[in-house]
Amino acid sequence: MSNIEISVTDPMVPPSPPVMSGPRRTILRRLEPIYWLGPAFLLIAGVVITPVFFMVWSSFRNIDSVGFDHGWAGFTSYHNLFALPDLGPVMMRTIVWLVSVVGATMLISLPLAVLLNRQFPGRRAVRMALVAPWATSVFMTAIIFRWMLQPQSGLINIVGHALGLLHNIGLTSAQADWLGRPGSALVWMIIVAIFVSLPFTTYTLLAGMQAIPGDIYEAAKVDGASAWRSFSAITLPLLKPAAVVALLINLMNVFNSFPIIWEMTRGGPGDQTATSTVFMYQLKASSIPMAAAMSVLNFFVVALIVILFLRFSNWKERAI
Amino acid sequence: MKGKEESMKKRIATTVSLAMITSVLGVSASSFGAVTAKASAPKVTITVLGADYGSGPSNTTSTYWQHIAQGFMKLYPNVTVKTSTINWNDYNTKVTAQIQNKNYPDVLQGEFFPQYVSDGLLYPLSKVLSNPNAGSPVFKSSFSVKNVQYAMPFVTSARTMFYNKKLFAQAKISAPPTTWAQLLTDAKAIAKLGKIGYSLPLGPEEAQAESYLWMLGSGGGWQNAKGQYTINSKANLKAFAFLKQLVASGATNPNPATWNRTADSAKAFANGQVGMEFNGPFLTATIASAGVLKPSDYATAAIPGANGPVIKTLGVADAIQVFKSSAAKLPWIKKFMDYATNNANQLAFAHEYALLPGTVSALNSLKNDPILGSFVKALPHTVLFPSSANWTSTVLPAIKIQIGTAVTGNASSVLNQLQTLATGG
Repeated sequence: MSNIEISVTDPMVPPSPPVMSGPRRTILRRLEPIYWLGPAFLLIAGVVITPVFFMVWSSFRNIDSVGFDHGWAGFTSYHNLFALPDLGPVMMRTIVWLVSVVGATMLISLPLAVLLNRQFPGRRAVRMALVAPWATSVFMTAIIFRWMLQPQSGLINIVGHALGLLHNIGLTSAQADWLGRPGSALVWMIIVAIFVSLPFTTYTLLAGMQAIPGDIYEAAKVDGASAWRSFSAITLPLLKPAAVVALLINLMNVFNSFPIIWEMTRGGPGDQTATSTVFMYQLKASSIPMAAAMSVLNFFVVALIVILFLRFSNWKERAI
Repeated sequence: MKGKEESMKKRIATTVSLAMITSVLGVSASSFGAVTAKASAPKVTITVLGADYGSGPSNTTSTYWQHIAQGFMKLYPNVTVKTSTINWNDYNTKVTAQIQNKNYPDVLQGEFFPQYVSDGLLYPLSKVLSNPNAGSPVFKSSFSVKNVQYAMPFVTSARTMFYNKKLFAQAKISAPPTTWAQLLTDAKAIAKLGKIGYSLPLGPEEAQAESYLWMLGSGGGWQNAKGQYTINSKANLKAFAFLKQLVASGATNPNPATWNRTADSAKAFANGQVGMEFNGPFLTATIASAGVLKPSDYATAAIPGANGPVIKTLGVADAIQVFKSSAAKLPWIKKFMDYATNNANQLAFAHEYALLPGTVSALNSLKNDPILGSFVKALPHTVLFPSSANWTSTVLPAIKIQIGTAVTGNASSVLNQLQTLATGG
């Protein structure tokens, strides 16, 4: 890795002293980082910092539902937001959603990555197939699942009825309205979210496994280590950097996940299947500043998750 | 989100200034023309955004608007009319998003938003219609702010109870219920046949109408006579306590909060799966197109209340309103509004969707219609949705999302929350 880096940066270091000299040249030389960092900084300022500023700013304004600004409102929106009895359940649901989707995704991805790291006939086909849920628009996946769960004519219900499965768990056709009841709707949406998160996670872990040098395994074999021992003592510890990246990106993605829930239930009935992101959008229909306050809250929650996570995973020591 | 809005604003600003330049050029060209001869009129584009009353692609309202646009453009070739429609399920979300992004249509059909008037976005009706009193006077105050009318009723309806006579006969029920207690008994008897006894559409599409009809049954409502919100009143709580009992008895559709009026409730009734439901005249169109029930298989009756039938049922009007644009455009918009709301177009709409028209003259011509006639006669004796400034913009969206959960969860907490939203900052 370090060898490659040197070979990349080498041509950039001028081999001979600069042709032009003098104070003007030195200033230009000092300003050089700006040329390199400028575009990236402008991009971040325009695409990340400005919207964040407007988000925070909107939450302190008295903006009516048509979008007109009627001046400063102080902490009114935050006060109203925290007075909502639904906020607590929504935040609890967000935690359940986050932990179950990310947890299950990681647990399923690891054996999948181990499998795909082995030689077997048709491996290429399986690897390609795994890309499908990733390559498909999440929105489409959510719509297809919503159709499959349609009470009267959805595929899942029809197959379930044909096999007598639904009958066994006491569901008649009218009761098989999976997405109409908050509990079952949430379970199905978690399944869909896991389904679409698997490819990225598996591929990140697979890349991490392939980066582990083969000679370590050979040395372990010479020392007489069993397959399980070489997995637990070599693969798992060396996989940590890749796993940390996968986990972190999943945490943020799943926390911000919108299309699955919106397309399958719109957060309904009521806001009983809404996570904090969907709840923010629901609030926007009635009150822009309250939705902005909710966004600020979300922003802090996701920042907190990332900070806590990096802290506990000793990110700096091990991952880099 | 806000960044997008900003860039959108800029884009609109440039298009507006471009439009101003072209309209200035157009005006100067036409004034030149007036000197020499009756030359070409200025090029004008009118955008129309409407709600979709169809049940699918076969009878979408966009077709109706396209006919009007084509007819109008034939009369005035200098005008381009661009129309689009939004499904009622997404109407509030999409229109609100569009308006919040300052992307105003010229003509908006659907809900009347008093908030637009407070923000100075709408023309008064007198500026955009040759006869500002063409609309039914029943809805005049609903569509007015400070005694100035800003929207015309474009399509209206009254609500009543439809019941399936075949299922009533099978369940050995002799007459439609007039009280809640009778309705519960009858609905349970029909549910025993494996059908939906009473279909309760409290999904987002029109939860405000369904819940209102029940509130009226116990003497409640969204507001009192003084126009103050009374969402969590005792009468309303009584209505929801009964609904909770009705749902718990298993005599309704299983998940009322996700059951919508058109896509679920009307369709199920038309397929003969429902014993009773509250609906408007448009249900007859759905029934006819499904082809399962004959006109003799169903009938209508007064909405049952806690102790007797509801005397004043709910009257609903969907509005047509005009957003402010340029003075150069206004005369053409006025011509368009006159054309779009003429008798022929109003009646075409009424017959296509089995809804009542909004203009007095079109309504009068339907008084003896076999299906719509009785609804026309009921219309003057109806109660209406609130006309407070924050009704359509703030309260209604929250009702659509939340009220359905009151029949399964804690009704008083849901109603209290809505009341706080309606009366607070």
